[in-house]
Amino acid sequence: MSLLEIKNLSVEFGSEKNPFRAVEGLDLIVNQGEIVGIVGESGSGKSVTMMAMMGLLEGQGRIVADTLQFDGKNLLTISARERRKIVGKDIAMIFQDPMTSLNPSYTVGYQIMEVLKIHQGLRGAALKQRALELMEMVEIPAAASRLNAYPHQLSGGMSQRVVIAMAIACNPKLLIADEPTTALDVTIQAQIMELLVNLQKSQNMALIMITHDLAVVAEVAHKVAVMYAGQVAEMAKVPGIFRTPTHPYTEALLKSIPEHSKGAHRLSTLPGIVPGQYDRPSGCLLSPRCPYVQDKCKAQRPGLTAIDGGVVRCHYPITAKEA
Amino acid sequence: MTNANMQNAAVPAEDAAVNYPSPIKEFWQGFSYNKGAVAGLIFMIIVVLCAVLAPLVAPYSPIEQYRDHLLTPPAWLDGGSSAFLLGTDELGRDILSRLIYGARLSLFIGLCSVLLAMVPGVVLGLLAAFFPKVLGGVIMRVMDIMMALPSLLLAVAIMAILGPGLLNAMIAIATVSLPAYVRLTRASAMTELNRDYVTASRVSGAGLLRLMFNTVLPNCMAPLIVHATMSFSSAILEIAALGFLGLGVQPPTPEWGTMLASARDYIERAWWVVSLPGLTILLSVLAINLMGDGLRDALDPKLKRAA
Amino acid sequence: MLSFIFRRLGLLIPTFFGITLLTFGLIRMIPGDPVEVMVGERTLDPQMHADAMHRLGLDKPLYAQYVDYIGNLLHGNLGESLVTKTSVWTEFKTLFPATLELALAAMAFAVVFGLLAGVIAAIKRGSIFDHGVMGISLTGFSMPIFWWGLILIMFFSVKLGWTPVSGRLDLAFDITPRTGFMLIDTWLAEAADPSANAGAFKDALMHLILPAIVLGTIPLAVIARMTRSSMLEVLREDYVRTARAKGLSPARVIFVHTLRNALIPVLTVIGLQVGTLMGGAVLTETIFSWPGIGKWLIDAISRRDYPVVQNGILIVATLVIITNFIVDILYGVANPRIRHAK
Repeated sequence: MSLLEIKNLSVEFGSEKNPFRAVEGLDLIVNQGEIVGIVGESGSGKSVTMMAMMGLLEGQGRIVADTLQFDGKNLLTISARERRKIVGKDIAMIFQDPMTSLNPSYTVGYQIMEVLKIHQGLRGAALKQRALELMEMVEIPAAASRLNAYPHQLSGGMSQRVVIAMAIACNPKLLIADEPTTALDVTIQAQIMELLVNLQKSQNMALIMITHDLAVVAEVAHKVAVMYAGQVAEMAKVPGIFRTPTHPYTEALLKSIPEHSKGAHRLSTLPGIVPGQYDRPSGCLLSPRCPYVQDKCKAQRPGLTAIDGGVVRCHYPITAKEA
Repeated sequence: MTNANMQNAAVPAEDAAVNYPSPIKEFWQGFSYNKGAVAGLIFMIIVVLCAVLAPLVAPYSPIEQYRDHLLTPPAWLDGGSSAFLLGTDELGRDILSRLIYGARLSLFIGLCSVLLAMVPGVVLGLLAAFFPKVLGGVIMRVMDIMMALPSLLLAVAIMAILGPGLLNAMIAIATVSLPAYVRLTRASAMTELNRDYVTASRVSGAGLLRLMFNTVLPNCMAPLIVHATMSFSSAILEIAALGFLGLGVQPPTPEWGTMLASARDYIERAWWVVSLPGLTILLSVLAINLMGDGLRDALDPKLKRAA
Repeated sequence: MLSFIFRRLGLLIPTFFGITLLTFGLIRMIPGDPVEVMVGERTLDPQMHADAMHRLGLDKPLYAQYVDYIGNLLHGNLGESLVTKTSVWTEFKTLFPATLELALAAMAFAVVFGLLAGVIAAIKRGSIFDHGVMGISLTGFSMPIFWWGLILIMFFSVKLGWTPVSGRLDLAFDITPRTGFMLIDTWLAEAADPSANAGAFKDALMHLILPAIVLGTIPLAVIARMTRSSMLEVLREDYVRTARAKGLSPARVIFVHTLRNALIPVLTVIGLQVGTLMGGAVLTETIFSWPGIGKWLIDAISRRDYPVVQNGILIVATLVIITNFIVDILYGVANPRIRHAK
């Protein structure tokens, strides 16, 4: 049985009359111990999907789904109280900016121990011991003295390690990392990625890596979902998706990675931006920006079609065209 | 930013006009979005009209005493008379007329004290921002000291020295509200001073006065206007408080606060003598504060998002 | 932390001397003869007048007079009242507990209800409760409190007869002042002699309620508005999302992770209300004939008792700056970023 199963998830914001669909008909399956990359431009609905799944949208967004199941529990029907027993314990999340993700008024030790107290009922020496252990697991030097540090006394990389320690505190089955390295220095980015991947292996967690950078997930992920404007454009196994992208959008993303276009004079870009609330095209959402656009694309929205090892949302997938 | 500029450059001229409504229209859109602010504005227009046209609007002279009609209740109560809509006070004066004439005084003193505080406050604030080392330090220390004194107490102390009266009340209230203007002007001028357009103006040879009043000041106006509105309402409250304490405008001049000074004695017999002047003060101050909120929304897009 | 306290203390002292300059100058700006002003006597023969000038040091140059004034202050000599001939400090000491009791009660009322209303309004943003709180607090903020006092007296004291009209305690009770706080004194007296002083505590409490509400109205409005906007701001912070992602209960997210940070600006605002409170005390004490500092100062002004006016204002201003100093320190305790700032 898969660890996380999402079928046909939609998330709407705004008023009933004038809703904005941030996520539309999203399907995602994550197995135990698997690394899944979710890739897309800003505003494509990557983070919203995960926040909706964890119940973090606080009544602002309306969530509809056929299935939203984690570890055999239906997240759509369980009570808020039941969900809070899972969230933070079995599903944990790491956010983009570590400097603002920690509460400035409490020591990092307090914030790590808080999770352990609430979910595992640890107290006293055992609590402190476990917190230290976690700080050491995320390779924070001089962990014992840093327990009493306030977030503003730590560097960005160090803060992100604290956030990771907090997230893995209860040995979660699923860890969601929402652009965990975007706000960090380039040199630190590699360290944090390495730490995350090592932890994933040693704890045998499933890891969902949200990023706008395909290169980040290329090396580590088992499977990649490419999102565009709230929909999955393509989902396929690694490395297949990188060798033979089937969706024009995936292809465009790959072309925009500097390493993939050595020798080219200019880095390839996809003109335009992700459509917002008011400028959604009636046909394929990518049609205004797609280099291969056809008449059918402008008229009709494509559904998901199965391809080798995944799915694609395109009337004219690239491999089919070439074949 | 660059993106937006390029897009706008591409569209035809008549579309650009659609994109950028005139500042006044834009301001009004922001302001009228706030229903409370519009209500406040309408109320204040009525009050101002009453004040300006007092001799035409008021049914009687505010100091005329009708000895046969002492403490007449308002017209809609038993014993009320349609001749005195809101009743009469302990000396038989028509309360409605006194309230209408009182509006003149409150608005006049309020306006004068706002100007008396704003003009020197802005100048001192600009000086403190342009010469932050010695002069700025001295000015700000003095303002800190003035801020340390509770404003009403300081006003009372000043009135104690100068003696009661209309002009002195204005001076006292202006003095009390001076530090806030200085601080506000200095703070916003300091931010503006670091902007490139100020450097550009300096480099192109603008003199000190030009820099202060033509370059920097216009860009500090938004918070100043909002603050002036708020300080106008607190000035009205302070005049009334001074009047109530017997330190402000002296009887028989009709002033809202002074009207309440003697009202305490009629608490048990004539509620209208007590309620109406205070209600007028409350509604006017509330209306101005609502307008201030609307002004802030309309002038400061950053604050609009915030709360 | 200690260096933080010392830095703040460094700002406090010049401010204090600034205020002495102000009160020193204040009395010299009164038009008329200085001896008349300070001694209160109108017709003195020239010899006596000169004696008085000399005795008061008014014949010295101005800077020497200021040095004398500071010297006196530092020796604890605050002059004496022209009317009662008692020292200003003694009068202050006897009257201050009444003002403090009133101010504390008003502040407790304002803080409890202001925080509660602000927090609930922020959580239920956009609800009827939220709009109600915002409307009422704007009204409270615009309230002429002397009128508000009169209206409350008219309704609760005159019409309903629930509360007394003025003073701190019914004249029927004879309570020995021990702490100066009527609530404590009556409570002690009732405990000591229940038969003679039955109901004294309740009577003191009933006397306190209306003035405390009146004095607390504006701080209440300010605190409620500030708490709401500060809560809304913090609720948008990333670390609140982190707290929810940790699976914490909504109560824990609000009270441990949001309120703690939202309180920091509210604390400053509460501190600033001390000044408002002292100004408001002047009006409130006048309406309710409350024998405290505010009424004392107003009476002194109307009696032209200038030594009381001068040094009474000095004491009150000093109190205000000391309170602001304490608030600053608390601010540092509440906010680690400030405490550690160099």
